[in-house]
Amino acid sequence: MDWSQLFRIGLFLGFVLGLMPMIWAAKYQRYNLALITLFASALGGFMFGVAGAIISAFLCLTIVISYTYVNQQDPFATRATSLDEVTFDETRFQYFQRQMAGIGSWLRGTARMLVQNKGGFIGFIGIMFFVVLTVFGPLFVEYEGNPRMDRRAEGANSLYATPSQEFPLGLDWQGRSILSHIVYGGRTLIITSVQAGLFSTLIAVALGSLAALGGNRIDGILNAMANLILTIPNFPLLLVLASIVNLDSNLLLALLLAALTWPALMRSIRAQVLSLRERDYVEAAIALDLGLTHIIMREVFPNMISYIAINFIFAVRGAMYSLVGLVILGMVPLREPDWGIMIWNAQTRGAFYNENAIWMALAPITAIALFQLSLILFTRSLEEMFNPRLRQGL
Amino acid sequence: MATSLPVDDVTPHKSQSIKERLREIRQTYVFRIILQGILTAWAATTFTFFLVRLLPGDPISIKTDQLMQQGYTAEEAANIAATLFRYDPTVPVWEQYIQYMSSILQGDLGQSISSAGTEVSAIILRFLPWTLLSVGSALLISFTLGMILGTAMAYWRGSLFDNVMTGIASTLSGIPDYVYAIAIILIFGVQLEWFDVGEMRGGVSQDVSAGFTFAYIASVIKHALLPVITYVIATVGNWMLAMKSSTISTLGEDYINVAKARGLAERRILFSYVGRNAMLPLVTRLAISIGFVLSGSVIVERFFEYPGLGRALTIAVTTRDYTTMQGIFLVITIAIIASNILADLMLGWLDPRVSLEESA
Repeated sequence: MDWSQLFRIGLFLGFVLGLMPMIWAAKYQRYNLALITLFASALGGFMFGVAGAIISAFLCLTIVISYTYVNQQDPFATRATSLDEVTFDETRFQYFQRQMAGIGSWLRGTARMLVQNKGGFIGFIGIMFFVVLTVFGPLFVEYEGNPRMDRRAEGANSLYATPSQEFPLGLDWQGRSILSHIVYGGRTLIITSVQAGLFSTLIAVALGSLAALGGNRIDGILNAMANLILTIPNFPLLLVLASIVNLDSNLLLALLLAALTWPALMRSIRAQVLSLRERDYVEAAIALDLGLTHIIMREVFPNMISYIAINFIFAVRGAMYSLVGLVILGMVPLREPDWGIMIWNAQTRGAFYNENAIWMALAPITAIALFQLSLILFTRSLEEMFNPRLRQGL
Repeated sequence: MATSLPVDDVTPHKSQSIKERLREIRQTYVFRIILQGILTAWAATTFTFFLVRLLPGDPISIKTDQLMQQGYTAEEAANIAATLFRYDPTVPVWEQYIQYMSSILQGDLGQSISSAGTEVSAIILRFLPWTLLSVGSALLISFTLGMILGTAMAYWRGSLFDNVMTGIASTLSGIPDYVYAIAIILIFGVQLEWFDVGEMRGGVSQDVSAGFTFAYIASVIKHALLPVITYVIATVGNWMLAMKSSTISTLGEDYINVAKARGLAERRILFSYVGRNAMLPLVTRLAISIGFVLSGSVIVERFFEYPGLGRALTIAVTTRDYTTMQGIFLVITIAIIASNILADLMLGWLDPRVSLEESA
């Protein structure tokens, strides 16, 4: 099954699942909300396929429920006239609503904080810009993979061209529009980086918890491993590996990057778990016998999720750095279109001497720089949002 | 690490004064740091040994196959590969390992594959000074600059200066180092023609003979300028931000208020009370930064054609020169371990609390 088909199924699924929050919102006469959520889940499905459809529809539903749910246990929310009207008995359906509303209002709160935080908002917009560019760009820009000899200007001795109205970013060494390569060249790179970040985070969380809870011997072994990998320089090792192993699979590359980047997060997770175990509120929860699921989901997890999210983005950033670096040096098999390969082509085709050719390298490095910058701005503001001490301008 | 470290005697000796006792503990801290470093170095060396030997399609068998295709018999090919990699294929792996370790301890890293007859250690010695020069001076400049600017930002926090500098620092630190390298070449070299791209390549101009002359030193500085600028721009933002937050947390300490109440000069407070304490957490980061810049230098040096270790590594990788690759990789790793040890020792010296805590 190829990509476009997957996206079409995602669009359909997002549309169908989006009916759920729409109907819910319409039931409470919130028609604006109904339309927005339907649109949002269809969009999520179109952009990120089947998984995107399910996730975005779920998030839309939580937000709708958070708007409409009235907590019966809260005497102020229900506007009860006497305490007798407040009831703590709830049906399963009400329990489900309360949980969903909790997630929804957390999402809304986060979004509000994000909009209020200037740097974070710019970073978020930047990330969304590149996501939209790689997802919707192909609808408007045609990919030019073959040389276009017919575009040679009269009297010119090469096909390079600086930006013009017809080709906003100029032409490369084969007369192809650089814009089309920018639009199409980010997808593999972004997907592989995100995969690497995900794998790295998963390994770190699993091993970090294991080290903190698994006893002294496991802790010692895992710590020694983490120390070793932290000391060995990542990028040179990748280079050496690239010369020995054939790194032509993106998934393999992502796994390799993850295998080299987990230790930093793993050590912090370990420290967090160890310190959380000692905190008063966790001990109180244990003493109240609230159950392991409650303790993990309600007391421990919310305190770590911000940290994990920030480190996930850092891992994505690092992976992208290494990926582009490997491609620039020509260490992995070249597969167009890709921003890194654009730089590689630029340097092998003489962009570093020819004034007309500099856009071949300038365009992709700007794209990479802006994407990385957006990621870091976003993480900085996430840090500020989750860490109130930083928020006060400290 | 709870390994075979000497456990401090619980009962204090009466004959020892407190001063002597403290010195003893300090010595165990130093001992621990160095021991840990040696263990990591050993693990890294072992790792490279297995990396080159045991991976599927390992370099030795690839090289042997290549030699056989060139017309050597299987035995001859195996012999040549054995001399190149300094190992004896007839003995078991553990014996090869011992030979490998002992030759590395003697500084013998084998011979280069691509340029036959050249010792790997000679290649490394040829490239190492350039990396030490460029990376070292860049780190020094960016660390100093970051300290000064970060302290100033913290001192005038909330002002226009602070806001502008924080913005600049976040932006600078968010962009990969090789992007700066390419942008410098393209914008200032090709477009604005402030310098000649071809002329800036290499470590020193061809027509200048080596020696302690003005022309030679000037040429060296000129060629190191672009890589150094790249490293400084790429790292200074992080130092500024780190120093700012560290200084702000120090400014809130009680002893600063006490110093102010005592009426000490502001400059004295800033330098000897705030500055010194705020710098402590950054010393450990310096070590991490060395590793990071060394990794980045692999790409940056490629664009400036700067003859450092990173360039040597890329050349070795593209020519499939496994012995050189192994040697350079080992040297970079050991350099990082050494800088880690140095940072830990410096931290122990700057902040005696650390060494006391760790040994306790």
